[in-house]
Amino acid sequence: MTAPLTPVVDLDRIVVTYGGGPFRRDGFQAVKGISLQIAPGETVGLVGESGSGKTTLGRVCLGLQPPSAGEMRFCGEAFGALRQRRGQLSVVLQHPEWALNPRLKCGRSVEEPLVVLGTPAEERRARVAAMLENVGLGASFAERFPGQLSGGQRQRVAIARALITEPRFIVFDEAVSALDVSVQAQVLNLVRELQDQHGFGALFISHDLAATRYISHRIAVMYQGEFVEVAEAARFYGEPEHPYSRKLMAAIG
Amino acid sequence: MFSILWRLDRLSRFGLGLLIFLILLGLVGPHLPLGDPMRIGAGPRLTPPSWQFPFGTDELGRSFLPRVVDGIRATFLLSAVAVIITAVIGTLLGMVSGFFGGFADQLVARGADILFAFPAILAGLLIAAVMGPGQISAIAVISVATLPLFIRVVRAVTLGLASRGFIVAAQVAGASPWRVMMVHILPNIIGAVIVQLTYALSIGMIIESALSFLGLGVQPPYASLGSLLRQGSAYLTFAPWLVLSSGAVLSAAIMSVNLTGDAVRDALEPLKGRSLT
Amino acid sequence: MSHIVTCENLVVTYRASNGPVRALDGVDLTISEGETLAIVGESGSGKSTLGMAMGRLLPAEAEREDGRMDVAGQPVFDIAANDLRELRRDLLGFVFQNPMVALDPTMRIGRQMQRAMGRRAGSEEIHALLERAELDDPARVAKSFPHQLSGGMAQRVVIAMASARTPRLLIADEPTASLDASIRDKVMGTLCRLRAESGASLVILSHDVHMIARHADRVAVMYGGRIVEQGPTGRVLDAPVHPYTRALLKAAAGHEKPGDWLTPIPGTPPLLSARCAACSFEPRCTVSEENCHTTRPEPREVEGREVLCLLAGTQTEPKEAAR
Repeated sequence: MTAPLTPVVDLDRIVVTYGGGPFRRDGFQAVKGISLQIAPGETVGLVGESGSGKTTLGRVCLGLQPPSAGEMRFCGEAFGALRQRRGQLSVVLQHPEWALNPRLKCGRSVEEPLVVLGTPAEERRARVAAMLENVGLGASFAERFPGQLSGGQRQRVAIARALITEPRFIVFDEAVSALDVSVQAQVLNLVRELQDQHGFGALFISHDLAATRYISHRIAVMYQGEFVEVAEAARFYGEPEHPYSRKLMAAIG
Repeated sequence: MFSILWRLDRLSRFGLGLLIFLILLGLVGPHLPLGDPMRIGAGPRLTPPSWQFPFGTDELGRSFLPRVVDGIRATFLLSAVAVIITAVIGTLLGMVSGFFGGFADQLVARGADILFAFPAILAGLLIAAVMGPGQISAIAVISVATLPLFIRVVRAVTLGLASRGFIVAAQVAGASPWRVMMVHILPNIIGAVIVQLTYALSIGMIIESALSFLGLGVQPPYASLGSLLRQGSAYLTFAPWLVLSSGAVLSAAIMSVNLTGDAVRDALEPLKGRSLT
Repeated sequence: MSHIVTCENLVVTYRASNGPVRALDGVDLTISEGETLAIVGESGSGKSTLGMAMGRLLPAEAEREDGRMDVAGQPVFDIAANDLRELRRDLLGFVFQNPMVALDPTMRIGRQMQRAMGRRAGSEEIHALLERAELDDPARVAKSFPHQLSGGMAQRVVIAMASARTPRLLIADEPTASLDASIRDKVMGTLCRLRAESGASLVILSHDVHMIARHADRVAVMYGGRIVEQGPTGRVLDAPVHPYTRALLKAAAGHEKPGDWLTPIPGTPPLLSARCAACSFEPRCTVSEENCHTTRPEPREVEGREVLCLLAGTQTEPKEAAR
């Protein structure tokens, strides 16, 4: 999947140091000089244990965490501020019970990115209905509150919200980890189908190698702030190179 | 909302009932046939309670019952106004502090610590000395004393919310901080603010009474429960009904607010139950 | 072989504001001394209710409607509070999903261990217990507060506490679900080793099929408040007979080939309000027949395991390899 397209996300020797400052030198390096390109329509899996820096790297890709060194380019340009990137990127996170604002009807949650973009109300309603159909829920879910939904349904609403602006890049941070096996399969398949339809680039962060290799084209294995192995997903159905990758493989059995 | 009423235990219902009764009494008091609280010489001076003067009369021969009813209104109104103003300011500061973090957070959190460490009565004396005694300085003192309560709780709850999926998703979508705070944070912390509001109200009533007792709050001829207590304390030995009646009403008022506050908290956090801390 | 747990037609109902929810709809289960049994099921299948029922650790709105549950020969739902406390203390050990919730955040590990052991144990004894749970530096761990430990270490502490009184039955509810993938297997290994050393029985409640395949002797698959298939791990997971077990294994990522699609189970699990008069999986089943809709299946012996399916073993369906 090395298409000759401009990568949606281009990380160039990214370093993130926590706790350091101009007057202190004892910062903790969560990300140590990582480079990665994600092409349109490509899913890169990012696996590693907690504390390996994978969530920090995800935050860098979302523009929530400015890198201490290195450069992040988005569709070939400098990233700039999140406000300039409205509608171009989005995120789906872990914990379905916190994915949606419990005080808002699902329809209002899904349309929010469009509200921020300034889309007229009429068009918003139509697109929300279409997107809820698209993720397999049906337009009637717009009127429901998150409390009335199951975990899998909430995660679908969160995916609808992430897709509503047709973004070029989506980060899935442990997006299926809290779901039951059979629901996991539904959501994973949904993401694969939607990617074929919409062609967004994606970063799929997870500690679950089985789910990650199922959904990703390439996988980066992160350990203590560094990539120890980046390879085609197919490689992780066989015998990956790095000993740490093999340790993760062992957990799938 | 009304289903909460069904779940209340007897103590909470009693507190809520008492609170509603006192507020109604304060509101309609002036229109009840209780007598004129300002009329000097309505009866003999310092007469004990009787059918005509249920709470007796004071040293100027004014009927004490309408004065107590007036005092209820003044105490509730003054504390409520002060606490609501404070709640709005404190909630905004707490949200900004918890959401933005960094320098703004340091500034607000340390400021709250300083206010919290400052004894309210000392602050009251200082403010009254600068602004002169009266209702405005009473409101200012209550605000200073209860502001940290709101800032601390709102900041803590906001910090807990800030990493939740829907907040992060809104930020990534490019929503402005103001939008995130108003649409996503405020509706989810309002319960905590309301619980804090009831605690602050009882503290506010105590402070108002203390200030008025010291002569720094409501000024004569107007009455608050604190100023009535002060008035009565001078005649404690031979007209104890003045202190007893105003003191009992003040205690009842504060107790009703506290019981209602506990009930609200229990209703919002049903799992935690009634704890002693 | 004697049985540590005997559960007969157990029915447990939760009272909810919108009517009763029947979490267990007649469970029959026996657990032998010294065996490791995995109870597999999705959320809402009733597996946690069943696990907690073994210690009668159910919330107040839960009610045993029918059947019995004997643990170490004592009917847990019918004994006095005192006996129940003794049973929990001396014979049962619990390991929950999130170790940080199980540990008291205000108390050092050493003191919590002492409480779990129920006597004023010397620090050497405590260290020995922690070491048995494969904690490298027991002295430092004993001096730490829970928040100073990693998730894996905290779960090892919980395991050490659960096995401190050498219980005869350990119940582990998703013991590794909150841990990193890279250490899950090791923590599970510790739990199983401690079980083997003490000869206790172990019940694992989980939906992680891979983990179960490696550690359990026997598997019980739960659906709709009943055990729909139970038997030796190899037999059940390698050649499942019940349609639900088959669907569950096909939905789990891990055994597909590159480019394959996973097959999710359509529909949602049932919420029972009363005794299910049919097969509870029938609405989602791809091979169901007319009488699945009208007849409540009873346990039958098929291919060396017990199955709740009217059609199991009778149909000549294409052999679908789960692996």
